[in-house]
Amino acid sequence: MLKSKQIEQVHDIDAKLYYKIFLMLLALTLLTFLQPFIISESLYSTVSIQMFLALIKTFLIVAYYMHLKYESMLFKVIVLVAVGTLCIFFIITATDAIFRNETFDMFG
Amino acid sequence: MKNNTPEIIYDKDGNPHEIVDFNNDYIASKLGFWLFLFTELMLFGAMFLVFAFFFYRFSADFVTASAGLSILLGGANTLILLVSTYFMGMSLINLKNRGIEECKKKIYITLILAFLFLLIKLVEWSIEINHGIYPDSEILNAKEHGVILFFGLYFTMTGFHGIHIIAGIFLMFWVLRNIKKGKINPENHIALENVALYWDLVHLVWVFLFPLFYIIGIGG
Repeated sequence: MLKSKQIEQVHDIDAKLYYKIFLMLLALTLLTFLQPFIISESLYSTVSIQMFLALIKTFLIVAYYMHLKYESMLFKVIVLVAVGTLCIFFIITATDAIFRNETFDMFG
Repeated sequence: MKNNTPEIIYDKDGNPHEIVDFNNDYIASKLGFWLFLFTELMLFGAMFLVFAFFFYRFSADFVTASAGLSILLGGANTLILLVSTYFMGMSLINLKNRGIEECKKKIYITLILAFLFLLIKLVEWSIEINHGIYPDSEILNAKEHGVILFFGLYFTMTGFHGIHIIAGIFLMFWVLRNIKKGKINPENHIALENVALYWDLVHLVWVFLFPLFYIIGIGG
């Protein structure tokens, strides 16, 4: 069983770092607001940039706010497996969405 | 019924160890909660999947519908959630550092922000409902296919997210009660840690909801 001192070591995140991450997330959120007003070439570029910003935010939240950076390998692996499973669903559905109305005649 | 016979487990070298407490397993408590978070990931993931599919097929309609939403209200809620997660995390750091009063104060701030989020959501939904935009309304049904799908997904996904905010509020009250009772304390803080994890997930979902529902209308 883990003693409380060991538990503290597992969560070695302090208030200063927490505040720094908050400022980074705030800056990214402001970028999220401003992006369509600064670069708005097409819907494709807007969605791509927005999803990229959201992924950076996700990384910061999961790694620091959800403490995954300080967890054991077991936690990291199961998070990766869950996200990987979701990605498989997305890839399969994307192929359906993109190629649904196209016909492929491999003998033609 | 409890009996006082100690239970013994053996390590791989055959040495006996007495089981002290089944209910204070820190790692297992957290692992269990992460598994719950994965079910949440799949729940929202499936809805995002449906959104992505129809967004691809009805891009123009989705952009038109999104332009009708208030980016100011959505943006205010984005900031509120961001600040609330900061205070939730700080409450845990305070508790670990034995600042129980500080910890409680931070949870109260998080609670106020959560209520504010719900209030803004209520205003936003009221505006849309007053314009006759709600699932299966005559006005909405008369619009293009993609617009109907967009608002269907909008009410479903922000509604589910709102339910999670309400659940979070109940959890925060429960945590406060247990801090008062001394059940959650600097030595035993896993309950607060798990509630903070839950609140981070609620924030994380909004990180994707906001650009997909509010920003595409401007950027498109």
